[in-house]
Amino acid sequence: MTSIGILQIAIFLGIILACTKPLGAHMVKVFEGQRTFLHPVLRWLEVLTYKVTGIKEDVEQRWTHYTAALLSFSIFGFLLTYLLQRAQGYLPFNPQNFGTPNMPPDLAFNTATSFVTNTNWQAYSGEATMSYFVQMAALAVQNFASAAAGIAVAVALIRGFARQEKKTIGNFWADVTRATVYVLLPISIVGGLLYVSQGAIQNLKPYTEVTTVEGAKQVIAQGPVASQEAIKQLGTNGGGFFNANSSHPFENPTPLSNLLAMFLIFVIPAALTYTFGKMVGDTRQGWAIFAAFSVMFLIGVFVCYHFEQAGNPILANRGLQTAATSGQSGGNMEGKEVRFGIANSALFATVTTDASCGAVNSMHDSYTPIGGLVPLFNMMTGEVIFGGVGAGLYGILLYCILAVFIAGLMVGRTPEYLGKKIEQKEVKMAMLAVIATAFSILVFAALSSVITFPAKGYWNPQGAAIANLNNSGPHGFGEILYAYTSSTGNNGSAFAGLTVNTPWYDLTLGLAQLIGRFLFLIPLLAAAGSLVMKKKVPETAGTFPTHGPLFVGLLVGTVLIVGALTFFPALSLGPIVEHYLMQSGKLFSMLLPTLGIWS
Amino acid sequence: MWEQILPGLRIKIFMTIVLGVVYPLAMTGISQLIFPKQANGSLITQNGKVIGSEIIGQSFTKPEYFHPRPSSAGSGYDPTASSGSNLGPTSAKLVRGTTKTDDKKNEVVDYDGISLRVVHFCLENGIPYESSVPLDRFKNATGDLDDVKLIKAFNDDKAPLVFTPKASIPADAVTASSSGLDPHISPASAQIQAARVAKARGISVDQANQLVARFTDNPDLGLLGEPRVNVLKLNLALDQQFPRK
Repeated sequence: MTSIGILQIAIFLGIILACTKPLGAHMVKVFEGQRTFLHPVLRWLEVLTYKVTGIKEDVEQRWTHYTAALLSFSIFGFLLTYLLQRAQGYLPFNPQNFGTPNMPPDLAFNTATSFVTNTNWQAYSGEATMSYFVQMAALAVQNFASAAAGIAVAVALIRGFARQEKKTIGNFWADVTRATVYVLLPISIVGGLLYVSQGAIQNLKPYTEVTTVEGAKQVIAQGPVASQEAIKQLGTNGGGFFNANSSHPFENPTPLSNLLAMFLIFVIPAALTYTFGKMVGDTRQGWAIFAAFSVMFLIGVFVCYHFEQAGNPILANRGLQTAATSGQSGGNMEGKEVRFGIANSALFATVTTDASCGAVNSMHDSYTPIGGLVPLFNMMTGEVIFGGVGAGLYGILLYCILAVFIAGLMVGRTPEYLGKKIEQKEVKMAMLAVIATAFSILVFAALSSVITFPAKGYWNPQGAAIANLNNSGPHGFGEILYAYTSSTGNNGSAFAGLTVNTPWYDLTLGLAQLIGRFLFLIPLLAAAGSLVMKKKVPETAGTFPTHGPLFVGLLVGTVLIVGALTFFPALSLGPIVEHYLMQSGKLFSMLLPTLGIWS
Repeated sequence: MWEQILPGLRIKIFMTIVLGVVYPLAMTGISQLIFPKQANGSLITQNGKVIGSEIIGQSFTKPEYFHPRPSSAGSGYDPTASSGSNLGPTSAKLVRGTTKTDDKKNEVVDYDGISLRVVHFCLENGIPYESSVPLDRFKNATGDLDDVKLIKAFNDDKAPLVFTPKASIPADAVTASSSGLDPHISPASAQIQAARVAKARGISVDQANQLVARFTDNPDLGLLGEPRVNVLKLNLALDQQFPRK
């Protein structure tokens, strides 16, 4: 690790810290329906939305109606995204003439679930399969929509804690509209233009054919990239315009645009901690969560940075430089860009998996075993280290419920959080969410590790599903584990060597995305519905304070222990054993297919 | 029930129009107005023809040019197939390379691998090395090194070829980037290549190195990211200042 690398990490966290209060306070006003500085410019758009859609902004909903609205919003999002992909050949803005065959039903299904659940997994390769219109009107719109839905759910859960003896938790439609109009859209416009200034492209032209200096032909892909890039990061979506995502020079041209990307990913999740504190009437509660986030973030980023800089001893033995010097960054440069080097790649990998973003500026599949374990573990926590927009906050509140429950068990007192008694229903709902996601990751990963397919089947080429891997040995298992973890966690980053565009992987990964989103969201909304009806009990000398260092420690411990206990066996079969094998110089070849899969 | 469901359809359609059509088209219009060069891909034109993009790498193989990093985008620097290698740290394919049999039943290189790239980088740039077997043994009839033979030797389980450079190789010079389109190399890699380029152009190494220094970009704001050299811009400057006859 270099001092300038560490300084860049510190500056990044400093900028996020500085923006947490102003943006958090802005969002309090937005979701409490107060006037903000943006109202003179944008209120008309909010009003127009209500007029066109017939939404009454003042009518509050119970948790069941709130959930029904969320599901309706998601289902229509899914349907339209699916249809637009399948019909792309008949739609405008398609200079490369991509048609329906480029997006077969299983791939379109996977992409639609993925963009509805804020996963934005790329089984597709943007520049080779998708028209500009599908990118703009299907994918980018869902980037806004799924992010706004995530924020809405977080705000609803906050209201569950903030209100007492009420039945309703807000209006889903108003929350989604306000999140879009006053938060996502304005920041995206500014962010998008900053992207273009750095070199991200924004046009609707056909691909450019050039003759290179040495006389070869090169076809340069084009498209409306910057407008999508801004909301892709801000909404913690992460689905790239291009296959190479944020490592593509047209998506992320400079280290400055890289900082912008990471800022956009973290800024809303961080600010929501302040929004939370303010709305429950005690900003210290929000800062405690911010502190827990920061501790876990810093542990992850320094572990990842250390191991990526230490590099691969197998390659060092063959003469590659691993120490950083003033003229080169050393370390594990396979799958990394020169302009980002080791520090900014490790930082980005940590940020994108702490949040449920999943954009990548380097290929995680080529990381060292422990360097790659950090993003994997970040996702296994349920992405509660800052987390996705909204998703991070409601995820960490789930862990807060578990943490006070565990603390309550230790001292033999009924657990309370923010003056609300945490009882059977809340703990059951929290556990349901934790178990559903762990089940989805482990069962699907186990299944894909052992399943084989007959000849001429629909699901996958003949033979084992592990024939789709790009690496063998423990790293190959890591590719499968990463895929289901990323999909269940609605992250979308990948150990991208795995060939996932077959019906088997498209459908199981799509299911994992749905489980990870909705079996997490709905129990939490149910908990919100139960919490909002409770009376706040007054604080006494015996109340366990949830704003101090003790609670921060307990919360971090709960997250790490739940993650570690659930996933340690799987991790030890993958990256952990791979680390020791790499140290001893062991290499793995792809097994030759014995069943004639390729014939 | 319908009162919860119908707004879902209406708001979805409304959002598609506002956020999916108006927003990106407005952004395109503004960008084309304020930043026309960047918005269209930072293209470089020479004699009226587009020869590439400032920020997208392209292949250079001739000795008189600085060479970019290895690329996994398509068959190399293909911007319609951006990709990294996605090979992990314990992949034999990554480290030793693989061969395959082509349509005409000839054995050809499937994936070159880092070991082979190290050999070529050393030979091209005059970096001293030690080899467990003299490299002459891997030459074919025309006297050139045979990559297939070398890859097979690296993969020999009993007595693998051990090739050790006597100077450290900058990691970026022999590893594939994430996008496959990395426009940059590290200053260290450029300095090593300067001697070869100078010789091929009949100029002094100092002259080549001065040009490298001029085209070395410092970290953004003096702090962010890494120092780097844009290969295409450097090579264009070479052609302009020291044209080959």
